[in-house]
Amino acid sequence: MSEKSRSAVLDAVRGALQRQPGDSLAERLPVLSSRQAASQAQELQLLIDEIQKLSGHAQMISSSQVAAALAGLVRTYQVKQAVLWDTPLLQQLGLAARLTDLGVRVVPAHSDKQMLSECDLGITEADFALPETGTLGLLSNAERPRLVSLLPRLHLAIMRPAALRADLHQVFAEARTHAYLILISGPSRTSDIEMTPTLGVHGPRDVHVWVLETDL
Amino acid sequence: MQKSQLQSSQKKISQPIEFGAYSEHVPGQIPSALKYATGRFMEQRAASLDELPDWEALRQAGSAIRLHTLENLDFYLEKLEQQVIAAGGQVHWAKDAADACEIVLELARQHAVKRAVKVKSMATEEIGLNHALQEAGIEVVETDLGEYIIQLMGTGPSHIVAPAVHLKKEQIAEVFSQEFGIEAPTDPVQLTAIARQALREKFLAADLGISGANFLVAETGTLVIVTNEGNGRMCTTLPDVHVAVAGIDKVVPDWESLSVLLKLLPRSGAGQKITVYTSFITGPRRAKDEHGPSEFHLVLLDNGRSRILQDPGGRETLKCIRCGSCLNICPVYRNVGGYAYGWFISGPIGAIFTPQILGVQQASELPFASSLCGACDEVCPVKVPITKILLHLRRRVVEGDGYELAVVAPPLRAAAALGRQALGTAWLYRLGGRLLPWLQIPWLRAGWLSKLPPPLNRWTKVRPLPAFQARFRKWWKRRQQVSTGDQP
Repeated sequence: MSEKSRSAVLDAVRGALQRQPGDSLAERLPVLSSRQAASQAQELQLLIDEIQKLSGHAQMISSSQVAAALAGLVRTYQVKQAVLWDTPLLQQLGLAARLTDLGVRVVPAHSDKQMLSECDLGITEADFALPETGTLGLLSNAERPRLVSLLPRLHLAIMRPAALRADLHQVFAEARTHAYLILISGPSRTSDIEMTPTLGVHGPRDVHVWVLETDL
Repeated sequence: MQKSQLQSSQKKISQPIEFGAYSEHVPGQIPSALKYATGRFMEQRAASLDELPDWEALRQAGSAIRLHTLENLDFYLEKLEQQVIAAGGQVHWAKDAADACEIVLELARQHAVKRAVKVKSMATEEIGLNHALQEAGIEVVETDLGEYIIQLMGTGPSHIVAPAVHLKKEQIAEVFSQEFGIEAPTDPVQLTAIARQALREKFLAADLGISGANFLVAETGTLVIVTNEGNGRMCTTLPDVHVAVAGIDKVVPDWESLSVLLKLLPRSGAGQKITVYTSFITGPRRAKDEHGPSEFHLVLLDNGRSRILQDPGGRETLKCIRCGSCLNICPVYRNVGGYAYGWFISGPIGAIFTPQILGVQQASELPFASSLCGACDEVCPVKVPITKILLHLRRRVVEGDGYELAVVAPPLRAAAALGRQALGTAWLYRLGGRLLPWLQIPWLRAGWLSKLPPPLNRWTKVRPLPAFQARFRKWWKRRQQVSTGDQP
C-alpha cells in the first residue's frame, strides 16, 4: 500500500506541475546575506541584554567566581538534585564535585526519565549563541543528552565567548549535519490563558547563562 | 454546544459549511477576547518588525523560496524522503486523511501504544487523528496548554496560534476543577502550574509522541518544530516512538532558505524574534544515552494539496507557513472568531484553504467571508495573494471552471447572465428602464419594496429594496449639459 500511495502522491504532484520524474530544478533564487557581527564585547553585551529581556538570567563570570555562583544558585532555587552534561569544559570547572560538596545529589545523565524529571537543576554547555535573539544552540550526543536542558525546573548553560555566532546562517552551516539541534531563547513560556505571560509551563521555569570571561 | 463548534472538533465534516449561519450565533465573549488577543499580537509584531533592517526584502525572499519549492515540489519531496531514510527514519505517504490516520494507527498497533502525547499540529487536526486514535482505544493528550484546555472542553481551536484565546480564566478554572476534582483557582499562573503537573505525568508515561512540522528540510531530512512551552521537545524526546504528520507543502529546500523562513514565522505570528524553542530533528537518536526516540516516522500528507497545486489561480495558497497574522489583522475574523469558518483552519487563510481542500460545493460561503479589504495580503510574511485567490474562488463558486462545477443554481446564473445582457445592450437597458417602474407597482410601499416573490424574497426577507427609479440616463444627460454649459 505504501509504494502505491507514494507513487500516487508523487504522480499527482508531477501531473499538477507538468513535470516528469527526474526533471531538474527551475533556477534557484539568491538567499539573503547574514547579519554582521560587532566586536566580541558588544556581541556579549547584546546576548546578555536579550536573554534578560526574555526573563532569563545571563552574566559574565570568571572561573574563580564559579564556586560562589553555584552555591548561590543552589541556595536560591533550593536545589536538592541535579544532572549535568559530561563535557570537558564542565569537568574542568569541577561542577559535579562542587555540587556534591554543596549537599546536592548528582544523578547520572542516563538515569531514567522519571528521575531526571525530579531534578531541580540541569547543567549544559552551549555550542552556539546568537546575540540578536538571546538564543543558545545545543547539539546532542551520548555525553550531551537532550533531556538535561528540558526536564529540570532550572537550566544552567555555560558557554565560552567562542560559541558566539553572528546569525542563524553560521549556526546552520555547522549544525546541519548533526542529528539534533535545539535553539533555546529564554525560559519556557505561554500566553494561552487570557494572553497572560506565564513562565515555566513545560520546560524550565528559569534559565541561567554563564559566559566565561576567559576561554579556558 | 453549537453545531459549528462541534464540527470543528476534529471529526471529518460532511455537512456544508454555513459561514453565515454559524457567525450569527457567536457568543459575545469571542469577539472581545479575539480583538484583545489579535491586537496584542499585531502590536508585538509591529515592534519586532521595526527592529529588522529590511522586512520587505525578507518577505520577498520568503515568498520566492516558497514558490520555488512548490514549483519543484516533486524534486524536493524525493530528496526529503531519501534523506530521512538515510538518517534512519521512515517515510510514509498518505493520499488522503483516511490513509494518514491508518498509517498512524498501524504504527500504534505495531508498538502496542496505549498513551500518545501530541504537539499542536494543524495537519493532525485536518485528518481528525485524535478521533481515529481514541476510537481505537488509545489515549491522546494534547500538550500545548491552549490545545489541552480545548481538548478538555471538547471543542476545536479558535485561533491558529492561540487556540483557547476565546476562553475566560474562570471557564478554564471550572474545566480544571471538574477534570482534577479540585477547587482550581482563577489565576492564570496557578492554572498553568496545575496543567504543568498533570501533563508532565502524561509526557513521562506516553509511548508515542505525535507532532506536525513547521518545516521539513529536504537537504538533510530534518524536521523543524517551533514552540514556546517546551511541549514540542517533550513529545519528540520522551516517548520511544515519534511520528510526525506533515502536509507535502511543508518542505523547504535547504538550511539557507530555512533561516529566512524562521525569521519570518515567529515575528509575523506573535511578534517574537524567535520562539523559545526551535527543534531540529534528523532521524531517530543515534545513541541510546543521547535521549530521544528510537524510531522516527514521517507521514507525508497530500489530502488535496496536489489538486491545489494544479490550479495556477490557487497554487500560492500552499506558500502559507501558518503564522496566523492574516487572522490577527482580519476585521471579519476578529468579529466572528475561528468557529464560524467551520473547520480546523480559520480566518482569511481558512477561507481560501478550506474550499480548495473540501471543494467549493461544501464550502461555497467561505470565499465570500471577506470584505476584500486586502489587509491580509499586506501582513502575509510570504505574500500569499489572499484576496486574489478569494476572487478566483468566488468565480469558481458562481461560474464553475475547469476544476470544479459551479455551486450557484442554474436559474440564478441564468438571471445573472440576463442581467449582464440587459445592462450591456443599450436598447434593452432603455426598455428595462421604462418598464421596471411600472412592473414594481404591485409591491411598492412608500418608496420601498419590502416583500418580493421568490426567489427575490431572499433579499427582502432581510432588508427592503429601494424602489427602482431609472433616473441615471436623465441625470447623465443633464450633467453633460451643465458641464458643457460651464465651459467658457
